[in-house]
Amino acid sequence: MVEKIRIVVNTDRCYLCGGCAGVCPTLAIEVSSSSWNFYQDKCISCRICVNTCPVGALTAEPLEGEE
Amino acid sequence: MKGMKYDVVVVGAGIAGPIIARNVARKGYSVILIDKKWAIGTPKQCAEGISVKVFEKYGIPYDRRFINREVYGAKLYSPSGYELEMRYKDVSGVILERKVFDKMLAYYAAKAGADVLARTEAVDVIRRDGRVAGIKAKHEDEPVEIYADVIVAADGVESTIARKAGINTYAPPHEFDSSYEYEMLIEGYDPDLIHLWFGNEVAPRGYVWVFPKDEDRANVGIGINSDNPQTAKYYLDKWLGENRIPAKKILEVNVGVVPVGGFVKELVKDNVLVVGDAARQVNPMHGGGMGEAMEAGTIASEWIIQALEEENITLLQNYAREWWEKEGGRLEKILKVRKITEKLTDEDLDLFIQLLSGADAEKIAGGNYFEVIKALLKNPKVLMSPRRMKLLRQLL
Repeated sequence: MVEKIRIVVNTDRCYLCGGCAGVCPTLAIEVSSSSWNFYQDKCISCRICVNTCPVGALTAEPLEGEE
Repeated sequence: MKGMKYDVVVVGAGIAGPIIARNVARKGYSVILIDKKWAIGTPKQCAEGISVKVFEKYGIPYDRRFINREVYGAKLYSPSGYELEMRYKDVSGVILERKVFDKMLAYYAAKAGADVLARTEAVDVIRRDGRVAGIKAKHEDEPVEIYADVIVAADGVESTIARKAGINTYAPPHEFDSSYEYEMLIEGYDPDLIHLWFGNEVAPRGYVWVFPKDEDRANVGIGINSDNPQTAKYYLDKWLGENRIPAKKILEVNVGVVPVGGFVKELVKDNVLVVGDAARQVNPMHGGGMGEAMEAGTIASEWIIQALEEENITLLQNYAREWWEKEGGRLEKILKVRKITEKLTDEDLDLFIQLLSGADAEKIAGGNYFEVIKALLKNPKVLMSPRRMKLLRQLL
């Protein structure tokens, strides 16, 4: 089973380029001109965004025991 | 809540959006162009190189305010340092200033009669009677409802509007490149050419580029496969370090993701069109998408105008048909070539760059590569390698 994760952004690294939103299969990330937003209920824990980020601003944290 | 009504709403003032807004406004239809950026064109996500032919072709003034430098060709470098130069007598391309260029494209749209609203983010689509009736947007913190007969999603690689309108724009992670770029001072590279470095250690699946904006100033960037465990930044900094290029005079850092692995199939759904990066209309070989966005925007605007004139929204489907006929086929072939070049080892790259002449490279760049491949297939170093034979034959 895929480990359930939460995506966390390092805002000091993030350029709000929108790449993560573009590759997300489920629209679980939205990037506005001033903020990065994550929607846990849509996330399928695929980690594509984490790998794609050109600067490594995203990390995955386990969600275990929180729900 | 502010409510507005237009014939056409265009989301995204990059390349395709303003061209559509301009063309449609010129025919007297009401159109609004919105962009989430508070300064259209800023920040850029681009190496800024484009063919000199596009200005005449798409009716864009050749305005020095957004042309940093004219270039006369390209120089390619193999992993072991073999070089291949293509130098033309005449200007072949220009390095733009996208911040000015995009803003001027929006200005041309506004002058033609379009309304333009920066700092206005499309949040969702408005649905009425089972179809998309407009866009819910936000200007600063003020909600805005824009109703329109035709909705254009030109909102870039992170496009949400097309997806919210029910168009499937999804592509797997391998179909994107991650990019990182410095605009910086750099010396020692002929500023009349663009420079490209290839190699599986240098830039997996992509390349490093130096696009000169001045004698000593350039966009220095990289694109790599986005599912690579390392970041694009890591590879660019590694390349600069290994080549002992001081990265001490950095004027800008640019970041982005480029769709390089195929094109959105459904370009139109009822009254919603998707264009440019949002439709993944990018050259899969070099990752450039400005020319492709201009072409798609031109085709789209012709059919939007036709649909409005004849009050027949089904005519919009012709944009999809015509794009696939004119552009889709051509780009699918380029995609096939790219997928084959992805399999080349560093030794292959060294060999091919050694064997090719500037004239060969020009033919390849022009899409005329059959003769060149046939000549390569006769070379002893190719003949002795069944794997190389097989790769090259796949291109024929």
